[in-house]
Amino acid sequence: MAKKELVGKKHPQAFFPEFPPESEWDVVVIGAGPNGLITAAYLAKAGLKVALVERRYEIGGGLATEEILWPGYYSNIHAIYHMMVEYMPVLQDFDLERHGLVWIKPNQQTAMLYSDGTSLSLCRMIDDTMDSIHKVSQRDAIQFGRVMRTWRRIVDEIVAPATYIPPMPPIDITMAMQKTEIGEAMLELTEHSPLEIINNTFENEKLRALLLYASCMWGLDPQETGVGFFVPLLLVRGMNKCYCQGGSHKLGNSLAREFVQAGGTILDASQVNEIIMEGGKAKGVELWEGRTLHADAVVSTLDPHTTFLDLVGGDKLPGDLKGSIEGWTYDKWSFNTLHVATNEAPNYASDHQWVNETFMNIIGFDNTDQVLKHWENVVSGKLDLNNIGGHCTTETFWDSHLARKPGHVAFFQMHAPYNIDGGWQASGEEVKEAMLATWQKAAPNMTKENIIISEMESPEDIEIRMPNMRFGSIKHGDYKPVQLGCFRPNQECSSTNTPIEGLYVGGASVYPGGLILGGPGYLAANKVVEDLGGKKWWSPTKDMEKYVKTYLE
Amino acid sequence: MKEERFDIVIIGGGHNGTTTAAYLAKCGLSVCVLEERPECGGCQETVEPMAGVKIQPHAIANYGGSAPGWEQLELWKYGFRMDWNPNKEIPFPVERNFLTSEGMSPMTQKDVEGYMKITCMDVSDDAFKDLMRATFWCPPHPVGTELDENNIPYMQVYKEHHPEMWTRELMEMTMFDLMDEYLDTEPMKVNAAWIAAVSGAHGHMEGVAIPALCSVATVGPPAVAKPVAARGNIHGQFHALFRCAVAHGAVFRTCCPVEEIIIDDGRAIGVRLRDDAVRPAKKIWANKAVISATHIKPTYLDLVGPQHLDTGFMQRIKDLSLKGGSLYMTHFLTKEELRFKPQYRANLPKDIEDYYGSFISPFFPMDSRDIYFENVKVLFGEQQNMTYPPERAIYGMVTGQLYDETNPQCTRPGMHINGPLWMIMPTPQYNKDGEDAMCKDEFDRKKWDEYMRQSVACVAENLDDDNLIRIFSDSPLDQQMRNTGVLGGSWYGIRCDRDQWWNERPLPEMARYRSPIEGLYNAHQSSAHPGGLCLMAVGYNLMHILIEDGIAEPGDWWYPSKWYIPEEGKISAIPK
Repeated sequence: MAKKELVGKKHPQAFFPEFPPESEWDVVVIGAGPNGLITAAYLAKAGLKVALVERRYEIGGGLATEEILWPGYYSNIHAIYHMMVEYMPVLQDFDLERHGLVWIKPNQQTAMLYSDGTSLSLCRMIDDTMDSIHKVSQRDAIQFGRVMRTWRRIVDEIVAPATYIPPMPPIDITMAMQKTEIGEAMLELTEHSPLEIINNTFENEKLRALLLYASCMWGLDPQETGVGFFVPLLLVRGMNKCYCQGGSHKLGNSLAREFVQAGGTILDASQVNEIIMEGGKAKGVELWEGRTLHADAVVSTLDPHTTFLDLVGGDKLPGDLKGSIEGWTYDKWSFNTLHVATNEAPNYASDHQWVNETFMNIIGFDNTDQVLKHWENVVSGKLDLNNIGGHCTTETFWDSHLARKPGHVAFFQMHAPYNIDGGWQASGEEVKEAMLATWQKAAPNMTKENIIISEMESPEDIEIRMPNMRFGSIKHGDYKPVQLGCFRPNQECSSTNTPIEGLYVGGASVYPGGLILGGPGYLAANKVVEDLGGKKWWSPTKDMEKYVKTYLE
Repeated sequence: MKEERFDIVIIGGGHNGTTTAAYLAKCGLSVCVLEERPECGGCQETVEPMAGVKIQPHAIANYGGSAPGWEQLELWKYGFRMDWNPNKEIPFPVERNFLTSEGMSPMTQKDVEGYMKITCMDVSDDAFKDLMRATFWCPPHPVGTELDENNIPYMQVYKEHHPEMWTRELMEMTMFDLMDEYLDTEPMKVNAAWIAAVSGAHGHMEGVAIPALCSVATVGPPAVAKPVAARGNIHGQFHALFRCAVAHGAVFRTCCPVEEIIIDDGRAIGVRLRDDAVRPAKKIWANKAVISATHIKPTYLDLVGPQHLDTGFMQRIKDLSLKGGSLYMTHFLTKEELRFKPQYRANLPKDIEDYYGSFISPFFPMDSRDIYFENVKVLFGEQQNMTYPPERAIYGMVTGQLYDETNPQCTRPGMHINGPLWMIMPTPQYNKDGEDAMCKDEFDRKKWDEYMRQSVACVAENLDDDNLIRIFSDSPLDQQMRNTGVLGGSWYGIRCDRDQWWNERPLPEMARYRSPIEGLYNAHQSSAHPGGLCLMAVGYNLMHILIEDGIAEPGDWWYPSKWYIPEEGKISAIPK
């Protein structure tokens, strides 16, 4: 249907035209986070008339690089470790380099720093990793190399490409995987919990602690079976993280420019109050500011509660969708992050000179028990300030542009409960002191004299800044078997279309999930373009094609 | 070394660089904008330093309501919306009360009538718009043109609408002189003179009465219903401009500081980026023009450099005055909304109080010009930190209540953000006690933050320790450290006194945006008429010159200023 042209309208009390109160679109995308930006960019380039609506004053969602160390220092306040750069279709389908996007992938990826001054490193180059493990166990070093041969193939050939293909029921996955040896190896892993996989494979306690942290830090339950294939994914990709120079927001900005150049319109600082329903179909959105956008399709990238219960309305939901949405559970933990601007970069006391250059330094833990204990505390709403740990990054090591010169920015992030005993308002200062003490133990120059400004972002702060990261859920919902794969967010919606005609979902609460995978947004774009028409100008990546050919045909 | 090539290379992705990029990209030129910071926007920035708390470190309001840019760049297409409901009327009367040490001073009938007359509002909205456009949206006349009451643009507006005001004297007056003739109450005059001071041309400066007046009038009705910016605040306004440029193909590169303007045989042919620029190509060539939209001083003293310029020219660049625009910006985070002391609780009409709340944007103290001149004496004469007490320091303040409820400034439960408060400070470079006299250490910051708190506490009854949660401030030096384009923390680059205004801005031979280096043009508030205020004016005015030089060839959407005088021997910017 031909849409009316956008014509500016003057407020009676002003000289200049503004965006009109009523407008017509093919598609309205709600939320300009990574997924919303991806969906919008694909669809606009497919020739559809697309409006992208964002509540915040700035686009990007979790791709946020902001001057929270006021005044003069920028920090990556959410996403910083980009694990899927080589696989994301969006980075192959769009030429974002022309907007100045530069990825940095340091060899020294992740290290754990132990209280005895030793360290273990996970490097992009496997043999550097094995060299490091040799310090503690020859058996584990050799074992690591062997295991990684298989795990890298599981990721490269199966898990990574499958991220960008609509989800399948577990039974179908099982049948597909039985076609190859690597598929069988993946199935075998899936049946075990992360803790079992790591403990069965490696003997050294320091290494086990490092691998457990690295594979479960994004929200896997260490004891949960049925999610084992995430262990190779998060370890292999965790050893291939990229940093976006200039800050993660640059990825968001580059996508936004592609969208705008393709004719799309961004409305930021605009909260959607309602998804307009007509005859059981989604027909547009109403904005709090008093504007209405009519559309043939609405794509929501928000959390399930906001999309279905708040914007559509629980009473308008068909069948048992309402119950399923109400049963959705949020991340079991959130992050508490201490951002600092310093005169000197953190200088870690360690047996290895490369440690200061490490992308992610894990501090505060010596063994798996301490890691598990911290996580248990967090899940039950507590922090034992004598046993905390987390991971640290010095952003200015690669990115001088973030800091007022001379100076550095760095952060120490740890898992933390949203509902902390006593509330964050009351416990914030005490937690901050404990984090500083832990950090200083690992990096002795992190003294008060060295720190110019410090700012703590608690789980509550995450929710205040980004309300659809409810309860500080950076992934919009827990990673547990009933909320993963074709169950994310539920069986009816996991392929991005929903039981409501014209309404699509494409945020982190949808398969394949959060963490800047670029999956849900890509899958939603595919679905909408199939349903609405429009020119599907892109085709699957080579990895995806190979996976489909091997396993799905 | 990898290299890139564009028609136009623009240094600086702030308001003026971006407006220029939008205009030129719309002409079909390939444009590359190089920005040093991680984010474009320059002074059009909005920051959330604490979750849920938005602050405005620099520009605040939409001064550009009369700009041709709205029509020519069609910013609505790129999502431009003001901070108000498009379907509802905004209460914003011309009549106001001014805050003095004694209490409220209302405008009199003579104030209202006089103000409406000198701004031509009494004639029609179009006459008002013409006065604004004549003042800001017209390039200076060709170098060497003899200026008089028959060709100075704003004089032509008075000649048409108020011939009795059309006198040579009007061109020579101070704004105080003008106001003494037409207005009544002293607090209203002090208020307008001080707003003019923070906008570029001070109320007491010789020969800039009308530019000073217009810099006050441009931010109120009928141009704009209330003095705030876009939805999403001032950075939201920038977004529309930026996205317009991007939609027309302009390329923006952040984290790309420029180190050198490459000059070959007297002609600017490109730029070289600093080694840490986030680009593989460190040299970017310009086929048609290099446009500096960063501060004039570093542009000529560093990026062009003494090897291409004579010492006399360099000295005049060094001497350009930064005075007057250095502001200390402060936001107060509080538990309760601020409340006026009883003597400042005006009997607000109910619709106003319902719409805005009761603590609307104080400007204080407006008693008499004695206070104004005491500020002038210490800051510009003695060139030192304030020696007068906080109750005699003039400031202006926007409160969160001025914004629409659907564009909330603070979404942190149980908290309110009040600000910015802005106060003129000594320019760091000229401070007799040294550049860092205001912020040597944390103690200094606390001291001046406390000074600001006491200033507001003169009118607010509850800005006490119990209520105050936190202060977010940035000194002029902080602003310069964050944004090298605001040298001296100056809000308008160099001040708009008669020696640095219109045909003299920044220097007479450069007033038409051209420079001693062929192919290098000026487009920064410090280097170009009309200066600051985010008016979309520098880009529009520069267009006339780039058309003259055969660089820009706009489509049917273009119209030049009514008062523009084409340069002999060049292509006229008036469409045939």
